[in-house]
Amino acid sequence: MWMAHSSSPYGARRIALACFALLLVTLFLFPAQIQGLSQYLGGPVGYVVRVPLEAIASIDAGIADRWEQYVALQGVREENQRLRKEMEWLRGQQSQLRESAAATERLTTLLRFKEQALPTMVAAQVIGRDATNRYRALILNKGESDGIRPDMGVVTPAGVVGRVVKTTEASSVVLLVTDSNNAIAGLIQRTRDEGIVEGTQQGLAQLKYIPLLSTLRDGDRVVTSGLVGDFPRGLMIGTITHIDKQEGALFQSAELMPEVDVGRVEEVLVIQTSYGQSLKAGSGADPREKPSP
Amino acid sequence: MKFLFYLILVLLLVPFQTTLLPHLSVWNIKPDLGLVAAALIGLFAGELEGLLVGLTIGWILSLFSAGELWLSLLTNGGVGLLTGFLGRQVSQVTSFSLGGVLLLVSLASGLFAAMNFKGLDMAQMWWMVESIVFPQACFDGAVGAGFYWLLSRRFDLTRLRTD
Repeated sequence: MWMAHSSSPYGARRIALACFALLLVTLFLFPAQIQGLSQYLGGPVGYVVRVPLEAIASIDAGIADRWEQYVALQGVREENQRLRKEMEWLRGQQSQLRESAAATERLTTLLRFKEQALPTMVAAQVIGRDATNRYRALILNKGESDGIRPDMGVVTPAGVVGRVVKTTEASSVVLLVTDSNNAIAGLIQRTRDEGIVEGTQQGLAQLKYIPLLSTLRDGDRVVTSGLVGDFPRGLMIGTITHIDKQEGALFQSAELMPEVDVGRVEEVLVIQTSYGQSLKAGSGADPREKPSP
Repeated sequence: MKFLFYLILVLLLVPFQTTLLPHLSVWNIKPDLGLVAAALIGLFAGELEGLLVGLTIGWILSLFSAGELWLSLLTNGGVGLLTGFLGRQVSQVTSFSLGGVLLLVSLASGLFAAMNFKGLDMAQMWWMVESIVFPQACFDGAVGAGFYWLLSRRFDLTRLRTD
């Protein structure tokens, strides 16, 4: 494996060095403009890249389906999948019903009850995972042309999946609830204490900034608070598995087991209109799709 | 012809990296094929092509990642430029030396990314370096070295390089 010295093209070398230096200067001086330009140019590129991406994703899904149907125990597997989906749906329903019951109780005492409006959602398919190992993210087959924008919430019938962070015309990137860069406003369903749900390095989630006087315990369910961000109130996030209360600390925190198995998500719903916006829009809000089992 | 090859390479890298590689990951760590491709192109086609193709790969992969654009551009473009210099200045490039360069670049990029994460304490940062950054750097180095070794078995690299 010997390599010969080729004639040194100083011109090309100088151009390469100048380009790299220019890039460095531009990136440090105009980061927002570069990001904007990348986003603008990335829109049409998303359409082009989506073609091989969807083709390979469908081949991948086809192979996975065949494997599951013919190699593994066919009947049991199908039934298991159906029951799991049904269970996820029922869990989501149960969580929302509990939340609705609690809300009804509180709001009827105030005599100002308004019927909860369903958010507008769009269904999307997962066609890939983050290109790097440092972030926990999913790639969806829908983007700006389908009305998806950064910061929109992403859910399944079982609960919260994450938040859209990047979009092209034809695809979008969802940062998962288990990523440490993600933060969602959460609420302990039983005690009504609020906190911030963040991902952990180990791929779980934690509820931070819980008041010291909170009487939370293992097994308590954490749902979205609906106060901040694009999630309506009452969507299941996870269950508390461990409480961390340190002496002298101003708050306590708790480890959560996320409700959605983010490693196996195949289809998701992107919340296009938040709960607050739906209420403002009144009953004219026309949900495109609703969660179905 | 070369342009078409680069275009196909860039277009196929995204589905390979995002859809197929997760199945081939070891302990949830997958190699960065973009980094390996940019390094090999820099080595065989020179620093300018290495830089330009590396930048394109970095930009397109960053569209399909939650990561920062600047880091992806600098890492992939930088490795193309670096291996371009390496190919011209070093008389004997072996799969081992290329693997070493890729390991160092990947390690530097991972450390920058870890330092860029908000709210990480020392323990969390060490955990990230130990369980993600370092294994990925080793993986990138090994895959790069493997590709180079395969190419050297298949082609006469001296002729390919001087052509």
